[in-house]
Amino acid sequence: MRQISWLPMMTNTAFFDFDRASYAYETGAKILSNVDWHIPKGAFHCLVGRSGCGKTTLLKLAAGLMLPTQGQVRFKGELVKGPSQKVGFVFQTPALLEWLPVVDNVLLPISLQRAVQAEDRENALELLELVGIADLAKRYPRQLSGGQQSRAGLARVLLTSPPALLMDEPFAALDAITREELQDDLLRLVTMRKTTVLFVTHDIAEAVYLGDQVAVMEQGHIPSIVTIDLKEPRSKDFRYENDFSFYCQSIHEAMMQKTPVEM
Amino acid sequence: MRRSISSLVLLVCLLLFWEITVRMFDVSALVVPTPSNILLVLWDGLIIGFLWHHIWITSVETLLGFVLGSSIGFICGVILGEIDKLRRLLWPYVLATQVVPKLALGPIFIVWFGFGMTSTVVITALICFFPLVENTMTGLQIAAPEKRELFRMLGAGRWKTLVRLKIPAGLPTIMAGVRVSIVLALVGAVVGEFIGGSEGLGASIIAAQGMMDSPLMFALFVLITLMGILFYQIILLLERRLLRNWSKGEIL
Repeated sequence: MRQISWLPMMTNTAFFDFDRASYAYETGAKILSNVDWHIPKGAFHCLVGRSGCGKTTLLKLAAGLMLPTQGQVRFKGELVKGPSQKVGFVFQTPALLEWLPVVDNVLLPISLQRAVQAEDRENALELLELVGIADLAKRYPRQLSGGQQSRAGLARVLLTSPPALLMDEPFAALDAITREELQDDLLRLVTMRKTTVLFVTHDIAEAVYLGDQVAVMEQGHIPSIVTIDLKEPRSKDFRYENDFSFYCQSIHEAMMQKTPVEM
Repeated sequence: MRRSISSLVLLVCLLLFWEITVRMFDVSALVVPTPSNILLVLWDGLIIGFLWHHIWITSVETLLGFVLGSSIGFICGVILGEIDKLRRLLWPYVLATQVVPKLALGPIFIVWFGFGMTSTVVITALICFFPLVENTMTGLQIAAPEKRELFRMLGAGRWKTLVRLKIPAGLPTIMAGVRVSIVLALVGAVVGEFIGGSEGLGASIIAAQGMMDSPLMFALFVLITLMGILFYQIILLLERRLLRNWSKGEIL
């Protein structure tokens, strides 16, 4: 049986830095309080927690869509003051524009900045090929199934090859089989591109399967971070191995703990 | 197709009932003319040609007023929809322009713009203005919060978010306003002519009333109704064309 290692603070190689970051609404309701989290480059980081524990808020702070009311968030050492195009964000819904064909949806990050060139179009079609929906390029979003829409959204966020991806329960609305397929495809793509991922989910099994590290969030704190030491690359069989359920159980226990664990 | 045939059968039945009742009770043509009489007058008017001029005048007034009112309404809707402060400041006044009976404004418009086309066009434009303001403002709020955040992540400024996201997302709602607008435009033009027109179908109704020519009045009603349906259908066709990408995939 493997041991769970509690990660020491890493400051020098961090990609995303949460430095005593807090967020509270104007009404005074606190969503996040004093979150310290240092996310190193190049790995797949998952954040699990119950609904309403502040996961999405944390992700939006990292994206610059929201700014902390106290403390700091840094990306590659620079203070996050607003959204950056170096960071890709995948929302809970695919957020495709219904009036554009899939390929134009994928090209949106470029078409919003400059005129689309022939090579951009080729690039977009290649990405659609990579996510497995090249034959749907000319369809409209409403003609696609939920899984296909998620794939289109994935192709769109990868178009500009951002070094970091922030994902907010992107597969939560999909059925189990489709979700597993998408998880495998996502892992393949981000490993290939060496993208740093911060992936928010409420599904423990999903977090363990995807993550190199899983952080547990509880009422606006991150009490524990678990490093998942499973062999790479992962495949479907892992879901049924002993180690896998061991990690799932540990994280489940960590989520049930009311008081933050001393690190 | 079958439905439109049944509608047509119903129309023929109603007209027959009307014709028979009027003949049976020997109602004066001054009170209620028979459908055959009305059709005859309409036919004569179109063959001899004196109606065409009025049809032309009313059509021009309707379309000018519609285009003018809808465009200004759309632009105002965008401005008020985008700038909250301005909306709070100006909304009562926008509402006031609609609550005030346009007919009551007619006489003052005649003082300002004189008898004839200009007054009618202004009244028509005023009537078409409101549905577009209202629906544009509503339409701009439709784009989902996640899509707005997506646009923020992609570095789109206010203008690009408006043009590439908010207006396209709201277009179905905006077009619904256009549909209401075109129907009201014809009403506006006819009513405008009642007050200050010497030409057009509305003015012709007043003239026919002066001559106690009820069959002609009814013929004009028929003509105005047909024009209204025609305008509406043209707008519907334009809307379908414009929104054909929006509806893709709604019916699989």
